Amino acid sequence: MRSGYLSFAIGALALAVGSQAAAQDIVWARDGDIDSLDPHRATSTLSRQVWYQIYDSLLEFAADGSVVPNLAESWEVSDDGTVITFVLHDDIVCHDGTAFNADDVVWTANRAIFGDNPSLTRSSWGDVSSVDRIDDLTVAFTLETPFGAFVPFMADQFTSMLCDSNADAEDFGTGSAIGTGPWSLASWSRGSEIVLEANADYVNRGRPVDNPGAPLADRLVVRTMPEGQTRVAGLRTGELNVIVPPIQEVASLQEDEEVEVFVAEGTGQNMFLQFAVNRPPFDDPRARRAVSHAIDKDMAIQIVFGDLVERQYCPISRGVFGNDPEFCQQHDQDYDPERAMELLAELGYGPDNPMEVVLATWTGDNRERMLQMIQNQLAQVGIEASIEVMDIGTLNARDTQENNREDGPGYMDLMGWTWFDPDLLYLLWHSPGAYEGFHTPELDAVLEETRTAIDPAEREAAVQEAFRILLEDAAQVPIYTPGWLWLYAVSADTPGFTIGPFNRAQFSAMEPS
Amino acid sequence: MARFLVHRLFAAVLTIFVTTIAVSMLIHLVPGDPVQIMYAQSQGTTPEELDAVRERLGLDRPLVEQYISYLGRTLRGDLGVTIRGEQPVLELLLARLPNTLILAASALFIASIIGLSFGFVAAYKRGTWLDTTLMTTAILGVSMPHFWLGLILLFYFAVQLGWFPVAGSGFPNLVLPAMTLGLTNAAIIARLTRSSMIDIFDQDFVRTAHAKGLPKAVVLYRHALRAGLVPIVTMMGLQFTYMMGGAIVVENVFGWNGVGRMAIQAIFQRDYPLIQGFILMFAIVVVLVSIMMDVVYVLLDPRIRH
Repeated sequence: MRSGYLSFAIGALALAVGSQAAAQDIVWARDGDIDSLDPHRATSTLSRQVWYQIYDSLLEFAADGSVVPNLAESWEVSDDGTVITFVLHDDIVCHDGTAFNADDVVWTANRAIFGDNPSLTRSSWGDVSSVDRIDDLTVAFTLETPFGAFVPFMADQFTSMLCDSNADAEDFGTGSAIGTGPWSLASWSRGSEIVLEANADYVNRGRPVDNPGAPLADRLVVRTMPEGQTRVAGLRTGELNVIVPPIQEVASLQEDEEVEVFVAEGTGQNMFLQFAVNRPPFDDPRARRAVSHAIDKDMAIQIVFGDLVERQYCPISRGVFGNDPEFCQQHDQDYDPERAMELLAELGYGPDNPMEVVLATWTGDNRERMLQMIQNQLAQVGIEASIEVMDIGTLNARDTQENNREDGPGYMDLMGWTWFDPDLLYLLWHSPGAYEGFHTPELDAVLEETRTAIDPAEREAAVQEAFRILLEDAAQVPIYTPGWLWLYAVSADTPGFTIGPFNRAQFSAMEPS
Repeated sequence: MARFLVHRLFAAVLTIFVTTIAVSMLIHLVPGDPVQIMYAQSQGTTPEELDAVRERLGLDRPLVEQYISYLGRTLRGDLGVTIRGEQPVLELLLARLPNTLILAASALFIASIIGLSFGFVAAYKRGTWLDTTLMTTAILGVSMPHFWLGLILLFYFAVQLGWFPVAGSGFPNLVLPAMTLGLTNAAIIARLTRSSMIDIFDQDFVRTAHAKGLPKAVVLYRHALRAGLVPIVTMMGLQFTYMMGGAIVVENVFGWNGVGRMAIQAIFQRDYPLIQGFILMFAIVVVLVSIMMDVVYVLLDPRIRH
């Protein structure tokens, strides 16, 4: 028995030495897996980050956040804003060797917009009435009404361009995926790892990364490792090259000379408070303002995150069209606990009759600690908040549920959404709204204008008007940005990692050790 | 024996049946259905579109009806497809079940070797410093959470010494998670072995064997140990099913691709077919193991006749 155990250990040891990952791999470990390889069947950041490695979009975001050509070498918007025409490069090759042309664009768009496949992204495309092939390299999108966010949307991962040869695969999205991106899919073992191989024929036509062609490494292996400490251990042993670090480890990783910590900026992510507005107390804007006045947002951010996040003043994030911190600060609520207490007194709350509320969020990324700070600050003006932390799925469902409940304690939560365009506000707050919460006829009209205005100045004015309503009514209380998956710890012996705008991790210039 | 088995199998089927009903109903108490969760961050999807998806998936029908159709399909061996990705549930589960079984079995192997030897020696040297040392170690083992021990082993053996990879699949990756799960459970077996063996050592037949002048080793191994094993084996069956549950935590720490991790994900996504498939499979494994243990029990101790 005893010698059996020993040989077991020795055998394990021998195997351990023999199975080190191939030297030319870049291994990237994250806390969760993708939902699907099909960009019409998922919305999570975890999924989008991987699609970006496999697929290209017609357009790209340059390092400064502007929209630039990618698969399309040029595009043209008709004067009335309803026809957008793209001309493709003539030398694009899919991972399976077939040529990428107008047919592939039409196939992808039809699948996302009109297919029986219940596409999760359909409404993001706007009111598209048809997608037409003009010639081999030209495609026209015709819209019912002008849609200001259409052009930048063509640079988003939701418009990842698929090759029409995917139609022949029975397991597209779960076992196969053919695109034109820098990495091609070799295999996906659900819950464990995705193996991508360098696309030797890749030509970088618009990605903000310092490599004109094929990735430097042979493979990019994307691992799912839920435990943060394990990811850190793997980075230290050299088994992993890029990890999502647990926030409490960031300080020590930053001091480690063998590790470089990257903080994504201009992610488009928004972390904000929202309220159940269809019942007391938060049906009254004064109650919402009181909460906003009571929170010292800068201090809370400093204590919980230090310099890893930024204060957010506007309902949409920095780097997104229309964001204007100075404008937003004129309409939001300063930290003013006295004012908060006055408002609460007006509503009949006081030391003998404290306001009791539920304060919720979803697990991870130090959000629980953020809630503890907020809870503490609310207590100082006499609001008793009880914290509830749940998974994101439950929280999303709960918010809608709370907006439809007629009684119960006040409810608010720290929520996060990301988008590259102020159209996010339409999706969140145009009636009925993402959570069937705050909406007004006035705001609806303004939000409709943000969609149809083509002139940038006109659109910006409408966006700012929406900011004003949301901030003055404290319907959405912005707190910080980014909020999730924005930190990367990278081993120093695999240099070349960069992050493009909207949190797009770039691996093709990374040198394997 | 045959009658006993039939009786046990009947009870087993009933247990599995009740488990699946309970889980099917309970999961609906949590807010949010899979469609709402899947589409929650899908910008601007209308309630009508969501209803259409629910209808397509059959989620709009009454719970009882959904359960009956699930039961019908299951009896035909069809566990359905997942809501996300529409992959066959049975295939997904079967691809990962071996990983969890291997982990639990290796852990049980480690736990048994350490637990039996510690317990046996402690019983034999009852009251000495060796007994005290071994049993103190055992108490430490019982008190250590999997999660914590896992990280300690990880930092020592993978980071400091570099003997094993940190995470992943394959044999070298099995060692640390199996040790984690095995060491904490070894303690339980050690304590039970000790008390069981102490009882046996005091019994007449052992004294008789000694008195007959049999060699010490023969008395200890052939007479005492076999009799002492009866309660321990039953305990091991329980331990095994426990370890299948504990494996979920350990799978997370070591990135071991077992069924537990997939089940947690399925619960977050309210992927009903996958959750139901997991519970059904887990219930079957637990019930089968307990039947096996009953059989072994009977074989080891001929006095027991049900």
